Amino acid sequence: MPVTPPRNLTELFLGFLSIGARSFGGVMPWAHRVIVEERRWMSPEEFTATIGLCQFLPGPNVGNASIVLGRKWFGLKGSIVAFLGFFGLPFLWVLALASLYSEFALQPGVKSVVTGVAAAGAGLFIGTAIKLGKPIAGKPWALVVLMACFIAVGIGRVSMLIVIPAAAVISYLLAKRGLL
Amino acid sequence: MNILLELGLYFSLLSLLSVGGMPSVIGEMHRYVVESRGWISHNDFIEMFALGQAAPGPNVLISSLIGWKIAGVPGALVTLAAMCGPAGVLSFWVAGVWERLQGTAWRAVAQRAMAPMVVGLILSGGFVLATPGGAPDWRLWIIAAGSAWAMVATKLNPLWMLAAGAAAGATLL
Repeated sequence: MPVTPPRNLTELFLGFLSIGARSFGGVMPWAHRVIVEERRWMSPEEFTATIGLCQFLPGPNVGNASIVLGRKWFGLKGSIVAFLGFFGLPFLWVLALASLYSEFALQPGVKSVVTGVAAAGAGLFIGTAIKLGKPIAGKPWALVVLMACFIAVGIGRVSMLIVIPAAAVISYLLAKRGLL
Repeated sequence: MNILLELGLYFSLLSLLSVGGMPSVIGEMHRYVVESRGWISHNDFIEMFALGQAAPGPNVLISSLIGWKIAGVPGALVTLAAMCGPAGVLSFWVAGVWERLQGTAWRAVAQRAMAPMVVGLILSGGFVLATPGGAPDWRLWIIAAGSAWAMVATKLNPLWMLAAGAAAGATLL
């Protein structure tokens, strides 16, 4: 399957606009669909490698991917165009939705529904943690680091500004000795 | 301090800490804006989180909804820009470096070191969101456990879990 990068900034913008516009229930599947299947801007292998890098970096994954890919094809201009295309529509309608919600928030029942959605959303995070945790579950030291981070941040409510640097140093030393 | 400036600075810091994306920093964000600064209530936070999860688009928009709740549209713009900006600049710069490190021992070590931290932080985010004010409510835990299970055990679109959460909320809460 031949791949052809976007020919100009307009094409790049419209591609990322259509990712943002359709991303119900998760952005990543749509990013894959538009970039690899519909527009054939890159091969599946290249796409996976790019997303892998973006997961390793801080920040929203697909947001970072828009910056990395925009740069790859058109330099700094490309990064800005892809980023704006991606966030433009979702930003507008999430605010519209929130304003609309404020009108209805006082209706009885609305709060219960929203609290239920939030609890389910919390469950999605926990599910994500379980999925990501499976490959490391067999390593005792990995579980120690994992639980230490959870107890400090989740239960102890210690600031991440303290926990992350400390955990990073310990984790790095453990990984270097082959314990992670 | 001007609230927009403080939001900008704080969310810029979060941006650089958000390895693994929004889920890793949601617990910290809650600690700061609800528990430490008291800008919004736990309920406001939960509502914005639920809207951000249910709406189409990247879940980083949860941060702009929180910014909106705290300081209106300027707040939304500032928090989104701050949440994406520093990480975006870093990505722009690292994209080149990382490709050159492909296959090196250092990269493999860094990747292995990061994994358990990210998992622990995401778990914290889920726990904080399902445990308002640190007081356990078994109904919320059941909804959260159900959707976590569905995510691990099935290939359903996550929207179904959110819809089920809405139905469960209407019945149980």
